Amino acid sequence: MSKTVIIYSFHTQKSKKVAEKVIEAFGKDEVQAINAEELTSKVFQENDNFILSAPTWFDGELPNYWDEFVPDLEEMDLKNKNFAVFGLGDQKGYPENFCDAIGILVEILEKCGANIVGKTPAAGYTFESSRAQRGDFFVGLPLDQENQGKLTGGRVTKWVAQLKTEMK
Amino acid sequence: MEIPKIYSIKKTDKETLRKWLYLMILGRAIDDKAPNYLKQAIGWSYHAPYAGHDGIQLAVGQHFEKNKDHIFLYYRELLTAMSCGITAEEIILNGISKSTDPSSGGRHMSNHFAKPEWNIHSTSSSTGNHALHAVGVARAIKYYGEKAVAISGQGESSVSEGYVYEAFNGADKEELPVIFVIQDNGYGISVPKKDQTANRKVANNFTGFKNTRIIHCNGKDVFDSMNAMAEAKRYALEESKPVLLQANCVRMHSHSNSDDHLLYRNELERNYVMEYDPLAKFERLLLRYDRLTEEEILEIQKAAKAELKEAHKAAMSAPDPSPESIYNFVLPEPYISEKYPDGLHKEQGEKKKLITGLNETLKAEFSHNPDTFIWGQDMANKDKGGIFNVSKGLQQVFGKNRVFNAPIAEDFIVGTANGMSRYNDKIRIVVEGAEFADYFWPAMEQYVDTSHDYWRSNGKFSPNIVIRLASGGYIGGGMYHSQNIEGSLANIPGVRIVYPSFADDAAGLLRTAIRSRGLTMFMEPKALYQDPKAATVIPVDFEVPFGKARIRKEGSDLTLLTYGNTTHLSLEAANKLENEGFSVEVIDLRSLIPLDEETILKSVAKTNKVLIVHEDKVFGGFGGELSALITEKAFSLLDAPIKRIGSPFTPVGFSRILERAILPNADRIYTGAKELLEY
Repeated sequence: MSKTVIIYSFHTQKSKKVAEKVIEAFGKDEVQAINAEELTSKVFQENDNFILSAPTWFDGELPNYWDEFVPDLEEMDLKNKNFAVFGLGDQKGYPENFCDAIGILVEILEKCGANIVGKTPAAGYTFESSRAQRGDFFVGLPLDQENQGKLTGGRVTKWVAQLKTEMK
Repeated sequence: MEIPKIYSIKKTDKETLRKWLYLMILGRAIDDKAPNYLKQAIGWSYHAPYAGHDGIQLAVGQHFEKNKDHIFLYYRELLTAMSCGITAEEIILNGISKSTDPSSGGRHMSNHFAKPEWNIHSTSSSTGNHALHAVGVARAIKYYGEKAVAISGQGESSVSEGYVYEAFNGADKEELPVIFVIQDNGYGISVPKKDQTANRKVANNFTGFKNTRIIHCNGKDVFDSMNAMAEAKRYALEESKPVLLQANCVRMHSHSNSDDHLLYRNELERNYVMEYDPLAKFERLLLRYDRLTEEEILEIQKAAKAELKEAHKAAMSAPDPSPESIYNFVLPEPYISEKYPDGLHKEQGEKKKLITGLNETLKAEFSHNPDTFIWGQDMANKDKGGIFNVSKGLQQVFGKNRVFNAPIAEDFIVGTANGMSRYNDKIRIVVEGAEFADYFWPAMEQYVDTSHDYWRSNGKFSPNIVIRLASGGYIGGGMYHSQNIEGSLANIPGVRIVYPSFADDAAGLLRTAIRSRGLTMFMEPKALYQDPKAATVIPVDFEVPFGKARIRKEGSDLTLLTYGNTTHLSLEAANKLENEGFSVEVIDLRSLIPLDEETILKSVAKTNKVLIVHEDKVFGGFGGELSALITEKAFSLLDAPIKRIGSPFTPVGFSRILERAILPNADRIYTGAKELLEY
């Protein structure tokens, strides 16, 4: 089986730090890191297991590097491929669209037939609405460095353990 | 509700993409160059850069159909203006205040782009003020059955304004095809959104509106903005209902060149807003998806640069406005009465009350011109027609689409009158500006703005409106039902103010006001509506020109200048004095602006003494202006100081005892006149 691909922007600061935690929890040798800003369709075609970093920008938007990849992404056939999405958000500053980017990206991946893994319980967060939320669950892992930075480590560890099971 | 993806980087044809990129590059080049004009002391002292709003502004302009739709731009909409079709040269003409600037000929502040002849309307600097105008013009669009929309561009801070709420509410209630485009960059100058409203998505403050669709889009993204705007227009056109389109933008620079965002934005924030640059993103997409090559983009950049260079040269050599032109377009020429050039008649017959004169004139004018409309509070509900029933029976004859109630929102009443009259020049609008003149103050914002319109647009737009207000006291109404406001209004140029005292003059002035272009403030002395002493014979076609006073009683010893309620009190005092052997001339001014200087000065030359009487306060009242005029132009003719009688510098009390102590009466006028006569 090929390595799990983790895609995040190498030019970010907070997202990069969190991505490095994910890599560490996963085991450096088991993942391949790819810069989201240099992403090509080929990466998606050639691999089966993906972890995507999608921080929410502004009032609920995908970062440019994802947004600009969407026209290609939405035409892909992602059947039988596993995708897990994590992302930074701010429950207090942007409670109306907490971690929307996770939801936006997952919606597109689902339309392409992808199998979404790494869903997490919505308990433990305080916000008003989120496109990442479905019922009692998030469709990925929301992380809040602004308000719950101390919980990030534990959340990542737990999530990665879950992914290892779900991506098998 | 899903927004159809009509436009995308892969589907949109290459020529369209090329056109958009050209507009965006050219727009940004001007946006970046504008501050240089100030640095070189050429002009453009106010520039609010649009960079960061590129996607939505391109989209709005691309959906505007000139001469059909109506659009109101705010001061940060350079690219919207260009996307609507305004050229680079025209943008610079506005920026550096040239006389050929299509917006105002150098009269209005830079960055206020307009071209009224295309329905790109002249707008105020007051944020969101034109939201009411968009509602008004949409009312006309709907009434005349046109398939068009009104678009109001505004920043997110504008929704803190009460009149913007009034606009949203009115458009929702009347189900009008208005698209309010809220360009949200997170700041009102330096004030962050959190200090404006608790809801970051400000449009969601209005989710309770029944007929309004709320759409959110990424205003930094060309395709998301184009799709959102296409859907907004489709909805407004097909459903004839309003849309609030909130576009998330960033402000890449300071608010304007008088602001410095270094004082309140940290480096991190300044960097990330630059990362959002919509133009850079669009170019990346074009390259990434092989829609344009680097060479093609370079060609476009070169062409835009060349156009800007030419536009700059042409604008710099355009003529400046001339100092002599300042008096042009303060007020349009009024309707000219051929039959009654002096506003006088000798008709005999049955006398009619002042209220009857107004009511019958309204009905006659509504029959005469099918493009007349009237609205106000308490305007039309079965047998009720206006707070004092002045407009009784109008709705039954002319229907609910021409005669209707307005919400209790004075600014809305006046603002939508301004907007509706923008639809075409044939329309004449009469509004009851408030239940009583005392309640007019919330409408001052629109009153002042409407007073500017004809001058500001360099004569391209005349708001053809008559604002009727039941004014004055002597009814025991106190501070909110019995005061006069004409003294405060008269200081504002661009409005005619009339204040009749008798039924025939009220009818004749109203006819002239409705038939004239421009804004007329029509003050009605409500104490006289039913009073037999104000009743007169009224010729069925009577007309009283503006600026024509009427000598109600001739005399040679003293000139008594007055208007409104005090005309009758002055006549009473004059008659008493006549019995004592004094000859007092009573001049009913009828029209304060314009003022009949000729009749006044002629009378002063005859009598050499002047008493000015009005109900309003003496301090700051219109009488001060009359006094100054006579002093300046006829000082040598005076045999005594000019005397003024009016209310003391207090509010009007409710108790009849207090009211009597405050408002002038015939005895006080008699005493004042006697003093002058014996001087």
